[in-house]
Amino acid sequence: MARYIARRLMWVLLVVILVTFLTFLIFFVIPPVDPAILFAGRAPSERLIEEVRQSLGLDHSFWVQYGLFVKRIFLGDEYGWPGFGLSFVTRSPIRENFLERAFVTMQLAIGAAVVWLILGVLIGLTSALKRGRWQDRASMGFALFGVSAPVFWLGLMALYIFWEKLHWLPGTGYSSFSEGVGQWFLHFLLPWVVLALLFAAFYARMVRGSLLEAFGQDWIRTARAKGLSERKVVYKHALRASLTPVVSLFGADLGTLLGGAIITETVFNLPGLGTYVVRSVQNGDLPVIMDVVVFASLAVAVMSLVADILYAYLDPRVRYS
Amino acid sequence: MIVAACGDDSAETTTTAAATSTTSGATTTTAAGETTTSAGTTGPQPGGTYRIETDGIAYTSGGDPSGEYLGISFGIFTNLLARTLLTYYHTGGANGNSLAPDLAVDFPEISDDGLTYTFTLKDGIMFGPPLSRPITSKDVEFAFRRMATESVVAQYEFYYDGLIDGMALSADLPDSIAGIETPDDKTIVFHLTKVSPDFVFLVAMPATSPMPEEVAGCFLQAGEYGRYVVSSGPYMYEGSDQLDASSCEALVASGPISGFDPENHSYFVRNPDYDPATDDPAVRANYVDRITIDLNTNVQDIYAKIRAGELEGAVSSGNPPADVLQAYATDPALAPLLKEGGDDRTWYITMNLTVPPFDDVHVRRAANLIMDKAGILQAWGGDISGVVATHIQPPGLSGLGADYDPYATEGHRGDLAAAMEEMKLSKYDTNGDGLCDAPECSGVVMINRTSSNWTASEPVVVNSLAQIGIQVAVQEAENHYTIIQTVANNIPIGMNPGWGKDYPDSSSFVGFLFDGRGIKAEGNYNYSMVGLSAEQAAELGVVFGPTVSVDADIDACKLAALESEQGGLDCWNALDMKMMEEIVPWIPYLWPNILTTIGPAVTSWDFDQFAGTTAFSKLAVDPSLQR
Repeated sequence: MARYIARRLMWVLLVVILVTFLTFLIFFVIPPVDPAILFAGRAPSERLIEEVRQSLGLDHSFWVQYGLFVKRIFLGDEYGWPGFGLSFVTRSPIRENFLERAFVTMQLAIGAAVVWLILGVLIGLTSALKRGRWQDRASMGFALFGVSAPVFWLGLMALYIFWEKLHWLPGTGYSSFSEGVGQWFLHFLLPWVVLALLFAAFYARMVRGSLLEAFGQDWIRTARAKGLSERKVVYKHALRASLTPVVSLFGADLGTLLGGAIITETVFNLPGLGTYVVRSVQNGDLPVIMDVVVFASLAVAVMSLVADILYAYLDPRVRYS
Repeated sequence: MIVAACGDDSAETTTTAAATSTTSGATTTTAAGETTTSAGTTGPQPGGTYRIETDGIAYTSGGDPSGEYLGISFGIFTNLLARTLLTYYHTGGANGNSLAPDLAVDFPEISDDGLTYTFTLKDGIMFGPPLSRPITSKDVEFAFRRMATESVVAQYEFYYDGLIDGMALSADLPDSIAGIETPDDKTIVFHLTKVSPDFVFLVAMPATSPMPEEVAGCFLQAGEYGRYVVSSGPYMYEGSDQLDASSCEALVASGPISGFDPENHSYFVRNPDYDPATDDPAVRANYVDRITIDLNTNVQDIYAKIRAGELEGAVSSGNPPADVLQAYATDPALAPLLKEGGDDRTWYITMNLTVPPFDDVHVRRAANLIMDKAGILQAWGGDISGVVATHIQPPGLSGLGADYDPYATEGHRGDLAAAMEEMKLSKYDTNGDGLCDAPECSGVVMINRTSSNWTASEPVVVNSLAQIGIQVAVQEAENHYTIIQTVANNIPIGMNPGWGKDYPDSSSFVGFLFDGRGIKAEGNYNYSMVGLSAEQAAELGVVFGPTVSVDADIDACKLAALESEQGGLDCWNALDMKMMEEIVPWIPYLWPNILTTIGPAVTSWDFDQFAGTTAFSKLAVDPSLQR
């Protein structure tokens, strides 16, 4: 297992390097806007443009720029390790802002993941156990709604109903844990639920399908024939087997969300990585874009690795060599 | 000599020692000069917090006053943080474009030859924490030296470069500038190399606000100073007093200021070292104790909060969404809370005089005659969005209003017959049928933006031009400005540009945009290439056609403005008319309004005509009405 993890970690590293290279190529070699002109004002002199180009480090060759970028990522910069660099827009270190935003996104993603896992598994389980009955139809109706409803619409509707009309929940914005657990929870409740609904719907359908498939397998019939209680058959055997694909998907989904949930963060005004990267793209803040891309790709790769390890735990048939 | 741009309509704003009135909407002015609101509260009272949210303030230099070059920053600095030798009244209308002494006791003494300006500073003006020391003329001089430092990337340094004797960009912080003298702590003298009546406006720009060398001198890379700004105004960033200014190292270790994060928030509190006696309440009223500006990525949510009373205002990257405008425009209870100010800006279609078929003045005139400007206005949201532009300079800058319209058509809908008559005179109408039918009339590249107002009005422009035979191939691009600002691209026509004044003088508008001496390969703003010389054309690799220059007119107008304010105004207006009738580089189509909404707790609000944004120093709230 240790060798497997080490090998997978090498792959993670390779993936991250490849992603950074491609992103660097896209944004630095063929940028949509020349950053030097962008940041030199609306009537810049050629000398000013050149000065900006130098100050942003854009006067070096592509390879030197890329080398400096990789160096700061892996070896750190004057602001710490790993090196996040300096924002083109604010001309201040990215590090503090990035970490604060990553923490907000992490709270959003993990909270939503808990909600969608609980909802998805419960609904999928109920639907499979009550196949053909009204509970099954209601569960699948929910799944259809969750899959179909756009997140931005759900978010706006949730705000309209629970904040603007009923005044049950606070509006948009971020309230940190230090400002009070209650406020923190209430501010995150709608974003968690809204973001989780889409995933919960997918997961419910997946759990239902996997469970129904498992119920038809010989080993489940054998378990029942051996006289195991229905509870044990369902929860210890069938559900455990049905969760293996869920775990794989969960790793990738959570990893993706850790890189920023752009729509949810935008609608609920959460200062996370999603809104950060959107603003950075609009402003041409290339170092921030690169940092978020590296972080996002790392998150996906690492979470996929964790999922694979969990997969081995849940399914003993899986062997790594 | 006193120079005040565009006249001084004091009737628009009434001021007492206690309160500054506002000019429109819910707030009305009583005979006593007090301000009332639709909420029924009489008179703005001091105190409270004015809460604002923004969908993103675009900083050009991380909040560094030397490098910030957008209206919102101009508004924040000149209202709250940065006093300058002269400043504006921070109100709407013509009075908002008028200058008032700020750091200076009075307007400058100007020498007879117009080349020397002497200012005397007021007593009792202090920097705020962490310095809390008197401001001297050397602090003003330092602002100019800092601007001349290349690494600071002061974005409008070009206005001063070469104008002030000895002022030029240098690799290092210059020890001095020959044309700036500070004979004592209260006096600063500027020696100019050429007559420039607009210099009084240049010393009202935020980059010229006093900067303490012991702090600002520690931050000579672009944008670094933004989070360490020491206030000279009535407010300061919250947390400024936590900085340790004993050394550059101590500053960095104790900073940045917690109350300003360009990616997140700006919190302003009162500057304890500001003495209201040194200021004019007509310039800054400073009612509220605190102003907060927070980022909110959800624009709809910002306006919903304002309506619900959870916020007092917005600083938005554009006007409120259409549904919000509709709600406020149609609901009598909300209508007083919709605020507008005329932006001294012209949105226009630019035509390149060096690229066919726009190298023919008859084509350019025909394009003006056919353009359905009413249709464009409709696409922008109708009358609430502004008024149809009929010439180069917005009315706030010139004596010319919408009455002057050399291409007047019924209802601004365009006149096909008149346009075809004009087109017949063009060499690109080969058969004299009033249509542009030469090969150059097809596939004409037109640059446009990707955002809604422009994409919505695009079909109107395309169809209008098609009626006279000009078939355009539209290219919508995020980097639209870069494309048309790069001369080598030879873009024939663009519907993306707009120009707003830097300061309320024609020299920053018609006198700036069409100066052929300013044409350059990249970052060029003279998109029509008016005044291109044969030498420039050869150097830039573009076709040198029968273009015309107004460089001499511009110089003449600057001289005329020195002789008399009215003389200058007349001269600039004549140049505007010449541009429209003889040279015809543009199809001006809109003088826009800036719109915003305010919350029910607001008891004083005003528009800042100079900055084109909220007058932050004129805000007041009734905390009991805040939710």
